[in-house]
Amino acid sequence: MSIRDWLDERTGYRKVVHASLEEPVLGGAKMAYVFGSVLTFLLLMQMTTGVLLAFYYSPSSTDAWASVANIQDVVTMGWLVRGLHHHGASAMVIVAGLHLMQVALYGAYKKPREVNWILGVLLLGLILAFALTGYLLPWDQTGYWATKVATGIAGSTPLLGAKVQQAMQAGNEYGNLTLTRFFALHVFILPAVTLALVGMHLALFRKHGVTPRWGRSDAELRRTAQPFWPDQLFKDLIGMAIAFAILFAWTWHEHGARLDAPADPASAFDARPEWYFRALFQMLKYFSGSMETVAALGVPAVVGAFLLGLPFLDRGPDRNPARRVAWLGMLGGGVVVVGALTVISFQHDAGDAGLAKRQAASEAQAHRARALAAAHGVPASGGTAVYTTAPFYQARELWDTRCTKCHEGDDRSAPQIRAGYGSRPWIAAFLKDPSGADFYGKTELGQSDSAMPAVEASPDELEALVEMVYAESGAADVDAALAAQGRTLFDGDAGCTDCHSRTAPAAAAPAMPPPPPAVDAGVGDGDAAVATGADEGDGDTGDDDDDDDAGGGSAPNLAGRGSPAWIAAMIKDAGAPTLFGAHNKMTSFVDELSPADIQALAEWLTWLRTASLEDAAMLDAPGVVDPPAPRPPQHL
Amino acid sequence: MADEDADGDDDVPGDRGDDASQLGRRRFLKVATCAIGGGIGLVVAVPAVKYLLDPVGRRVVTTGGEPIDVIALDHLEVGGPPVRVRLIAREVRDAWSTVRDVPLGSVWLRRTGDRDVEALSAICPHLGCAVAFEPGQQRYQCPCHDSRFDTSGKRLGGPAERGLDPLPVEVDGDRVKVAWIRYRQGGSDREPV
Repeated sequence: MSIRDWLDERTGYRKVVHASLEEPVLGGAKMAYVFGSVLTFLLLMQMTTGVLLAFYYSPSSTDAWASVANIQDVVTMGWLVRGLHHHGASAMVIVAGLHLMQVALYGAYKKPREVNWILGVLLLGLILAFALTGYLLPWDQTGYWATKVATGIAGSTPLLGAKVQQAMQAGNEYGNLTLTRFFALHVFILPAVTLALVGMHLALFRKHGVTPRWGRSDAELRRTAQPFWPDQLFKDLIGMAIAFAILFAWTWHEHGARLDAPADPASAFDARPEWYFRALFQMLKYFSGSMETVAALGVPAVVGAFLLGLPFLDRGPDRNPARRVAWLGMLGGGVVVVGALTVISFQHDAGDAGLAKRQAASEAQAHRARALAAAHGVPASGGTAVYTTAPFYQARELWDTRCTKCHEGDDRSAPQIRAGYGSRPWIAAFLKDPSGADFYGKTELGQSDSAMPAVEASPDELEALVEMVYAESGAADVDAALAAQGRTLFDGDAGCTDCHSRTAPAAAAPAMPPPPPAVDAGVGDGDAAVATGADEGDGDTGDDDDDDDAGGGSAPNLAGRGSPAWIAAMIKDAGAPTLFGAHNKMTSFVDELSPADIQALAEWLTWLRTASLEDAAMLDAPGVVDPPAPRPPQHL
Repeated sequence: MADEDADGDDDVPGDRGDDASQLGRRRFLKVATCAIGGGIGLVVAVPAVKYLLDPVGRRVVTTGGEPIDVIALDHLEVGGPPVRVRLIAREVRDAWSTVRDVPLGSVWLRRTGDRDVEALSAICPHLGCAVAFEPGQQRYQCPCHDSRFDTSGKRLGGPAERGLDPLPVEVDGDRVKVAWIRYRQGGSDREPV
């Protein structure tokens, strides 16, 4: 007794194998019959890739996008798995359409196969339900906005609309529960129902056998019959291989599926559904008011009812397409209308220059969001928080909302601040023309008698003075000797001390965390004690400074000028006695901004010193996310 | 319920004796099987359906209704073009989590007088896309299904059934604050969700 005999005696497996493989295919194996097998294959592919995705996916409104971005950009082969799953859905829609057309052409829905046709139509609906629920799961802009439209359509159902919509989206608004709901439907309910229907579909297919081409006699069909295995299965496999090759090549070519920027309800995004819903999308544009509800819900319902009812409408036993022109014409007409609406929709978009521009911007944003996510991770507060991981994000946001009105643009009323602010060239240009348009020219002070006069010095002297001022910022690349030369000039012939001091007021305590220690000991005094009067109250006067050193007090004390702490003090209160005092017109931000905000701004403004205009622009460029001063990775 | 006779087949082997009493017994077994099975199903199904419908009619995603600071008043020009601003909630409760600085939506602001500002939700009242302003035509247009609205939000055409949804605005010193309300999409009536 062989092992196989032994096993067969206990399991009866031979009967099962025989029954499933050696079924005769009447009329012989045909390529026309492969579509069902290809669909089964694609379904298995979707299940495999879907389970693989579930290993890395997290269905919550704060995590979903981050986890998908991780799959797409970090996990090895993640893009491929996700890409196969995404494009596999499209492949299923296409092959299901081909399957349906083949079956319709052959009249395979006729008696006794009506139930199997109905199961097939229901399975087509399930494929679309998979697509709808899956589209939202990445929680990216496309999925979010397109699904909003879909649930919005559900919400327009007469009478029960609001309830239906709330049941679908789980509550009053999109959020965590929407995702868990769509996820549960997509990975548990729909697959379970699909498998059950596929099981019945296959069982009924085996019960009734293939529907051969029309017009052949039973005797002829029986004579030309071939076994399912290997004759038909080989052809099926050819079909699967072709489908897989196309799917794989396309996925490879596209480098997987798109992932848009994280869903942002406050953004403007041009919602577009997947291509197979484009016809419905386009159709909605032609209807308004209550007619639209009729169209959005009624047309799919009518199409579905027509498909389900087809076996009962086209009842004659004759399967010859030539004698079923009316029914096949209606089906074909439907396909043409859907195709035409789809083409119109894509053409309409292609002809819209504004849309193309907005889509390019969305693409750039998606790129940036993904690059940031890959580089820094996504904060736990959610997908859109990824932008806050960009270098100096917080400071730049504050700058844009609080500072640009006065410090940027032609209508500004204060010195221009941008990349290069506080650098040597900036200081040199300032000393040569303090009331220039880029400096105090636009301020009341700059136009008054109290304005700082241009520094009259030889180029060498100017260089030394620039270095001396520059050294106060605590920059690492200070030429100590030159700075010392500058200090001699400052204290002596240049006349700076008539108005400025360069030593910190003795009583002043650093208001901010001390800046990093200066590399050059020569500037140490400028950094350790910070010129700040912000915390000292209004009673303090600049006269104190005069007692401590030779310098005058009518202009800002230059000790630590340009260091983060000094800049922070300026932001807090530029009218402090050691800064601009009574000449100040700048708003005091000490109460408006938190210490952390002020510190962030000060650090960013300090960074500007080392930045070119291009560097600053790069902070917002897609894909460039390395912080200007990268920190070495640390192990926990 | 393991009674092998309760399979609905009247010609079971071993079916001897008094036919009438056997039939009565089987009928009882059939009814009892269905009743007990159905009872178990019902006991599971009712809580299951209630469980699944829990979010219906409930405010799952909530945020404090206080007006949100969006922009400085002098950034808006009297009679100037509408300006789109983002409404960022300080805190949003989303089912089980509380998240800070959450974008809620965006709003078109128009300054109609010295201290008068009008706010229109940028959510299209049709199906919820974000409407854009077309400066050339001085109107709002939805990029999805081409609904159009004039600068005051009145519906001009397209599938939307009502105009853009106005939102309460507060001018507080030199700051503009907007209270966020999300209205139900679709329909000609404005119903907050």
